[in-house]
Amino acid sequence: MSEIDPAVALRAKRGDEQAFIEVVQFYYPRCLRFARNMLGSDQDAEEAVQDAFVRVHDSFGRFREDARFDPWLFRILANRCRTLLARSRRHRSLIEYGEVPLSAAAPAEDFGADWAEEVRMVLDTLPAEQREAFLLRHVEDLSYEDIAAATGVGLSALRMRVKRACDALRARLTEVEQPNDR
Amino acid sequence: MIDETDELIQRAARSLKALPATNPLANARIIAAVRARRAQTPSRIVQVAQWMREPTLSAASAAFLAAAALVVGFVAGGALRTADGTSPEIAATTERPVPPGPAPALSAANTHGDVAVALLFEARNAKSVAVVGDFNNWDATSSPMKRFGSDGPWTTTVRAKPGRHVYAFLVDGTTVVADPRAPRARDLDYGGDASVLMVTTP
Repeated sequence: MSEIDPAVALRAKRGDEQAFIEVVQFYYPRCLRFARNMLGSDQDAEEAVQDAFVRVHDSFGRFREDARFDPWLFRILANRCRTLLARSRRHRSLIEYGEVPLSAAAPAEDFGADWAEEVRMVLDTLPAEQREAFLLRHVEDLSYEDIAAATGVGLSALRMRVKRACDALRARLTEVEQPNDR
Repeated sequence: MIDETDELIQRAARSLKALPATNPLANARIIAAVRARRAQTPSRIVQVAQWMREPTLSAASAAFLAAAALVVGFVAGGALRTADGTSPEIAATTERPVPPGPAPALSAANTHGDVAVALLFEARNAKSVAVVGDFNNWDATSSPMKRFGSDGPWTTTVRAKPGRHVYAFLVDGTTVVADPRAPRARDLDYGGDASVLMVTTP
């Protein structure tokens, strides 16, 4: 996991527009990945990410200069995703989602499309708070302490959410896994 | 980082880790939204680059833009040549006669080594057009184009360092259009259309 140079975040906080542009360019792919995984909709994800960055800009005055930027950014983004989830109760189009060109700056492995889609479908069935905790922990690789800072949820509750998410994923994926998936 | 999961969960997590491609236009929309917020807040000082403060289009500057469009066509490469060997930029400029006047320098490098390049685009029904490119961080607010006359082509001047650049026109804030007069960029990592601009030192 990489974090932006704290000096850049600091410059952005102090009003340096070029630094803010660097922040956006640095975090946009990760933010969009998280929002897509949370919302299952490309359009909603882009909206959430844009809203999050605008709020980052508006709220920079409250960002402590000795704090780490990642948890703060993901706190704002997760809030935006929760708001969109609450606002939009419609069913997400998994077909549309599957067509999103994840041209992958860094796909570590060549997963079959069926497997990846299955994972997303199972993820979609999880309660939002479990999905959020699982994604922050195991996809965005935040520490539990950082997730606690980002979500405002206690460590033990977070560990339980992640465990339940893993249990559900394991149960469903074991059912659908094919021998030649690997 | 995964510590309490088995191999199945690790594989599931990895399948979700593919990063979306960088999307300069989405980034540009974010920056534009932030700038719009700043514009609504008088207490904030918005830094504006000197080159963005374009003078009102005068006869002389119109001549400059029209002439500079020829330069763009020249530096953009041989692909611009039409079947009969003429340049489409020449056709574009003769379609709307250039007012007479002294021709200023076509381009000039500033102290940072940036070169001013005039761009021209035909979109008669557009309400607004902006240039977005790697030279302005794909910022839709950085390089708005102005109409030449009441229904003429859209023009603006951008500054870019010598070398190869990728750009496009953003029409009415929503539609991205490649420059029909320039070679098409083929190495983008996102789905938009864009063109290639080769900038040379004047």
